[in-house]
Amino acid sequence: MEYVAKRCGVKFDPPSIVLVYEDGKTKKMRQRIMPVRNFSKFSDCSLAAERLKSNARHSAYLQGVSLQQLERLHGVLRDRLRGHTLEQSLAELRPDPDQDLNKLSDEELARRKAHMDVLFERNRKRKDDPDFVYDLEVEFPEADDRGTCSWDESEDGF
Amino acid sequence: MARGTSDLSELDQEKYDADERVKIICLGDSAVGKSKLMERFLMDGYRPEQLSTYALTLYKYTTTVDGKAVLVDFWDTAGQERFQSMHPSYYYKAHACIMVFDVQRKITYKNLANWYKELREYRPEIPCIVVANKIDADLKVTQRNFNFAKKQGLPLYYVSAADGTNVVKLFKDAIKLAMSYKQNSNDFMDEVMRELENFELEQKEETSDKEDNVSKEEKDQLP
Ligand SMILES: Nc1nc2c(ncn2[C@@H]2O[C@H](COP(=O)(O)OP(=O)(O)O)[C@@H](O)[C@H]2O)c(=O)[nH]1
Ligand SMILES: [Mg+2]
Repeated sequence: MEYVAKRCGVKFDPPSIVLVYEDGKTKKMRQRIMPVRNFSKFSDCSLAAERLKSNARHSAYLQGVSLQQLERLHGVLRDRLRGHTLEQSLAELRPDPDQDLNKLSDEELARRKAHMDVLFERNRKRKDDPDFVYDLEVEFPEADDRGTCSWDESEDGF
Repeated sequence: MARGTSDLSELDQEKYDADERVKIICLGDSAVGKSKLMERFLMDGYRPEQLSTYALTLYKYTTTVDGKAVLVDFWDTAGQERFQSMHPSYYYKAHACIMVFDVQRKITYKNLANWYKELREYRPEIPCIVVANKIDADLKVTQRNFNFAKKQGLPLYYVSAADGTNVVKLFKDAIKLAMSYKQNSNDFMDEVMRELENFELEQKEETSDKEDNVSKEEKDQLP
């Protein structure tokens, strides 16, 4: 690969995605600022991310950056346009495991699911993987051999 | 929900009385992986039917049990779990239940108690399987007991929709349980259910304005 992506970030003014990458030929670290065009607080982040990733001038640099990450970065930019602070957006990106996801709006829930998709895709076995087994059965220790779960310890009305 | 009574006739749930048909419902919080589990089981062969007015998705599946062809309808919620409660027609005539939590989020485990309570209000007898999903994220959970299942005397399956562990076994066993429940019960509860349901729908009409507002807001927030 010609350009090896190292880190990604955002710039608020003008709204841009910033990429730090290594130039494969020169082995030098470089920074690329990609302004996000036609983007408003009403924009669809996943569409905008796809647009950037397939942009003729940027796509070669963004090979190693996942669509999910670009989508999250657009989310941070959009949050800013909506008047949220950076801290608020980052807090959402570092999800609180105790949060009740039943209470989120469709859009917030979709964002949380996009975040979960990173691990899901990483661990996913696909039909065309050589070691794919449709009916994969794995036996785990019998109930009596299992330890107790800390979730059961505090008997908060359960 | 003034349209409540037509819910049942439009969905034609009487068909579930036929010998060769079963209805299996999925329950659990938002994002525990209910839909991913369905998709993993059905792979490419699935034909989901979106019933967006009812916020549910139906997956049809044909198989053979003891040499007999069986048509299974899996019912999955499509957002109704937000209200932490399902419409009675969701439970109506169900023959088995798959109740899922996310091993990475304690709250989804704690909420099982609420889902189970609601299930038993409508379907006191049907077989129910507790499912610990996303074990690929942390295999150590398979060495731990989740007491809820044991306390309620329910089977517990450790699965992963991502890598496929025990997913097919889960669904096949659920179908077997649904079939044997169907063959061994005369479903008299359904009649009682129907009475309860009509009663509840009448009561709900008074609050229908408020409910409509909720669903409008939900739509407005769609991206
Ligand atoms: N790591 C991992 N993630 C999963 C698994 N199953 C689901 N997920 C993630 O959880 C998210 C929510 O799943 P979904 O099926 O939409 O949940 P539902 O709201 O219960 O139908 C998905 O977007 C996936 O990223 C699993 O077995 N392992
Ligand atoms: Mg779902």
